[in-house]
Amino acid sequence: MMQQEITRRSALKRIFAAIAATGAGSFITFDDLLAADANPRKAINVLWLHGSSCTGCTCSLLDIEKVPVVDILTRFAHMVFHHDLSLATGDQVTETIDKLLESEEPFVLVVEGSIPVRMPHTCMVAHRTMDSWMQRILPKAQACIAAGTCAAFGGVTQMEGMDTGSMGLLQYSYYRGITTPIITLPGCPMKPEHFVYSVLHYSTHGAPPPLDRYGRPRRFFGRTVHDRCVKYADFQENYFSRKIGEDGCLLRLGCQGMVTRSDCMITGYNNNTNVCLRAGHPCIGCSGENFPRRVMFHTYDDTRDIIPRRV
Amino acid sequence: MSTKIVIDPVTRVEGHLRVETTMDGNRVQSARCSGDMFRGLEKALKGYDARTAQQITQRVCGVCPYAHAETAALALEDAMGIRPEPNGQLLRNLTVGTYQIKDFLLHFYTLCALDFIDITAVLGYEGRDAGLQQVRGWVQQELANNKVFPAAPFLPRYEADYCTDQAANISAIKGYLDAIPIMADFHKMVAIFGGKSPHPVAIEAGGVTTPPTLDRIAHFRTLLATCAPFVREQYTQDVIAVAQAFPGYFREGRGYGNMLSYPYLPDANGDNFFFAGGVTIDGEYRALELDKITEDHTYAYYYDNSSPLLRPLQTDTLRPLSSVDFQAQQSRSDGKYSWGRAPRYDGLPMEVGPAARIINTYKSGTNSELNALVNRFNRQLDITIDDYASVMGRHLSRAILANLTLNHMERQLEMLQPGKPAFSEHPVPRNARGVGITEATRGSLSHYIETDSRGLIRNYEMIVPTTWNMSPRDGSGNQGPVEQMLQNTVVADAANPMELARIVRSTDPCIGCSVH
Ligand code: SF4
Ligand code: SF4
Repeated sequence: MMQQEITRRSALKRIFAAIAATGAGSFITFDDLLAADANPRKAINVLWLHGSSCTGCTCSLLDIEKVPVVDILTRFAHMVFHHDLSLATGDQVTETIDKLLESEEPFVLVVEGSIPVRMPHTCMVAHRTMDSWMQRILPKAQACIAAGTCAAFGGVTQMEGMDTGSMGLLQYSYYRGITTPIITLPGCPMKPEHFVYSVLHYSTHGAPPPLDRYGRPRRFFGRTVHDRCVKYADFQENYFSRKIGEDGCLLRLGCQGMVTRSDCMITGYNNNTNVCLRAGHPCIGCSGENFPRRVMFHTYDDTRDIIPRRV
Repeated sequence: MSTKIVIDPVTRVEGHLRVETTMDGNRVQSARCSGDMFRGLEKALKGYDARTAQQITQRVCGVCPYAHAETAALALEDAMGIRPEPNGQLLRNLTVGTYQIKDFLLHFYTLCALDFIDITAVLGYEGRDAGLQQVRGWVQQELANNKVFPAAPFLPRYEADYCTDQAANISAIKGYLDAIPIMADFHKMVAIFGGKSPHPVAIEAGGVTTPPTLDRIAHFRTLLATCAPFVREQYTQDVIAVAQAFPGYFREGRGYGNMLSYPYLPDANGDNFFFAGGVTIDGEYRALELDKITEDHTYAYYYDNSSPLLRPLQTDTLRPLSSVDFQAQQSRSDGKYSWGRAPRYDGLPMEVGPAARIINTYKSGTNSELNALVNRFNRQLDITIDDYASVMGRHLSRAILANLTLNHMERQLEMLQPGKPAFSEHPVPRNARGVGITEATRGSLSHYIETDSRGLIRNYEMIVPTTWNMSPRDGSGNQGPVEQMLQNTVVADAANPMELARIVRSTDPCIGCSVH
């Protein structure tokens, strides 16, 4: 039995290596990863911190059904610290982080929320700014997962009109000259499958899945919402909905599916229970680089458009 | 000699919270609660389309976004002078109800239970439950293998007087594990009429953009039937078991006892609320007067304004402190110490949340179903209605609300009219003002909106449950409600101040909401 497992494991490893070599890594499925990781030698250490966030991505993580949460905690990820799950509180938290950094144990850093830089004192942990924590922790991480749109691109914390100078992790690492690889998982909230897949991929291969230029796994963010939309046929026939509740493409009601990349229309949200467009509401572009825009939902004859303002 | 106890960060609450107490021996002399994150969404909303408020303000909180979405829609509807479609109102009730029950489970099991329940009890588990066996095996292995962080995230923890009743411990640990897929199912119910969860898109001024088709209603009903037994049985029993194991906590964390709640869960026409709004001050229930609400910022990190007492929609004159001035305040012993402002009702700090909802509705006498259930629990646990303003009273309030809300949702689900719309479109009003009020999971929530001549947002303000509960001192020297709850608490071991953590967590703080 043991022998068999090891053989299967090493066989899978060879297959993965071959797939990766041909540049087709984004085809590795979730189930491949789960099988490969069925008997991991060591769960990957995960340190999960909150910048300026709303905790929505954590709530979303707990919704996963593809892998039971208890399996994530006991088999695939060693959650060294998580603000909403850890029993550790107060000084125990700072001691844990200090110990992790001193121990030289490898770890993946997960950041939920953005990092305020112009007004760093607007996000504090243990009387220190999140900016100073990040300057200390981020360089030591093997990789960093930016969970959700705020951590990836700034999201609502970087909307036009904000004073805090908050940055998503890509921009932040560039600004601070830190070269730790960043995997961005935009989505407001992040989809839990994207996260668990990325963690499993990292623990199986020691590297992130194939990414696009914004650090997004190509497997999930290769196409726009519009490309796979249930209303795409209506769009092609110029059949537009004039008001909510009517049939037809929702473009004229403000839909941002064309400028938003994610696999929403394939895997939906909440274990594929539903997603915005299937519920009859235009896509508001929540996983996009320019979320949120000043206009997100409008009437048919509204001439204001949804073209990106900040690129 | 006075010493200090600092808990920073307070974990298992939403957001960045610091609690600092000055001790007189082992007794808390005074406390300071600091909300340590500021984003500034209200000011940023200026110039945005009024309809974006619903999508953006719900992102102040990923734990209770629907409450903000609904309140934003209510505020805009008030400015429009309309009410949502009856179907839309029912769908909102069903969705907020779903969200709140899910939040109560999250709060009890994921965030609070392990402050009372001994997680290491799982090592002595001898039954056949696969989940518990898995956790037991894992903890054993973790402890045996000399890991750097054994059994994280469940260890380390404060060492304290955990529950010693093995059966209660095991039941709640099983509840901890089983609640996770139940919460996911509740989120699916939100997604059915909201599009997705967290951050459902489908609520707009005028109703809900997802029509209640027969198949959606059937899907919702099936999930509700799957989840209901867990809430009615396991959750309710686990709360009672903890309450029975820690009866002293009906006397801890009592605070001022001033309670504020807004009317919540109306009928399809927006009238006849299931939970009454109102205030209880000095034990006496009174009707709600919204214009008694002011906000103070004497101890909040904003530049002083000509008037320390601002009315809603006047706080846009406040500017956040710069880094230099922030540090200057921090170095003063009487300086400003929180990003949270201090809302007051008639000048008084008010507790909001589940206990306020129970106490006010009970005293209003408008809901006999609630009074009967409360009376039943009072007899079982030998408590009175006044004991609900306490650590354990707040946990019990949530369990009671969850049961009542379930009953109410089952009734309202059958009132939906498939085939009729749930949404009607209305033009965005120009130069208009509106206010929306409701109860979020954590208590009274209000949004205020003002539009300009183009229908864009001129001014926006939110006064959020945790802004009330976690408020800092005000100019008259009144402590915030949670600060008051902490005062005089006896801490057995300053290195493991579990008593303080239990009080703070009983109010389910959400700093992201409170400061936004
Ligand atoms: S509804 Fe939006 S995403 Fe769908 S086809 Fe139309 S424009 Fe594209
Ligand atoms: S459809 Fe658009 S708004 Fe909805 S979840 Fe996907 S990216 Fe976000």
